[in-house]
Amino acid sequence: MQGWLEVVLRSVVAIIILLFLSRTFIRKSMAQVTYFEFVSGIVIGAILAIGSIHLQVPIAYPIMGLIVWSVIPYALGWLSIKSETIRSFVQGKGVPVIKDGKILEDNLKKERYSSDELLKQLRAKNAFQVADVEFAVLETSGDLSVLMKKEAQPVTPKDMKLKVAPIKEPETVIMDGKIMDEPLATAGKNRRWLEMELEKIGAAIENVYLGQVDSYGQLTVDLFDDKLKVPSPQEKPLLYATIKKCQADLELFALSTNNPQAKQMYTQKAAKMKEVMNKVEHLLQ
Amino acid sequence: MTVASQVKQCVASLKNVEASLNSFAIDTKDEQASEIFRESCQITRQVITDLEKRVGELEFQEPQYKGF
Repeated sequence: MQGWLEVVLRSVVAIIILLFLSRTFIRKSMAQVTYFEFVSGIVIGAILAIGSIHLQVPIAYPIMGLIVWSVIPYALGWLSIKSETIRSFVQGKGVPVIKDGKILEDNLKKERYSSDELLKQLRAKNAFQVADVEFAVLETSGDLSVLMKKEAQPVTPKDMKLKVAPIKEPETVIMDGKIMDEPLATAGKNRRWLEMELEKIGAAIENVYLGQVDSYGQLTVDLFDDKLKVPSPQEKPLLYATIKKCQADLELFALSTNNPQAKQMYTQKAAKMKEVMNKVEHLLQ
Repeated sequence: MTVASQVKQCVASLKNVEASLNSFAIDTKDEQASEIFRESCQITRQVITDLEKRVGELEFQEPQYKGF
């Protein structure tokens, strides 16, 4: 066989093997890969490269090397899922470098981590002041995971004891001016509904770049023409305002009637509507 | 505006509220939120029923303003 033809043949086979291997290996981003996995990846790459152009090497050698270098890391990965001991041996464990707000210098030294590097990593996690950090772990991938002190953390609705409306994932029902039927069905809507909603907004379907339905069944769109203003959904605030108005009306009736029986009835109903108001407030605002 | 027509207007608004709450109860994917909407819808319906009774009484007292 001619040399160049063999290179082509070997390269094609190598590419197929590479594709197959990278598909079977676990879905991890480069940042999550441990040093061991990273290096075995490089070795596999090198074997494939040498195997595809180094014609003096018999074809069996790179294949044998490939088998060993892919089977053993794969087996170790599989075993480390099954066993905790193997996992901590193969992947290592995160090392705490800040605990109770104090830097653990011994651990830093053991990991050969300089104070500059620590500060750099902390800054990457938005912790410019070491005093704001309660706990930090140096992960096996070399990333630093940081737990800020509670007072340095952003406020969440839970901290404020606020009730917020739960949300689910929105469905994208219009893309590039085309209706997506499947997400539309998932959202429990149909084309007729979509056309009606678009008419309400006053937008033509061809002019819609993206349209999404939120978990409350409301449509929001982005138009190709950015000069056009799209009204935001008004149904929820409007409903809340109407409930409020009705409640106020009932209280007014209660005040203005002279009939004691009716007065009592109105007061009672006003209280009921107040209850409804409180119930739905966080959902509608 | 007479009292009766004011109350009627209120009933109409409440019916609007009930319908909207009902449609939100159907449209909302989150079960908890959907349940809240459904409960609110039921309460509103009770209020409407009682108010309609009152409208009937008022119409009896002021028969000249009967009907919307």
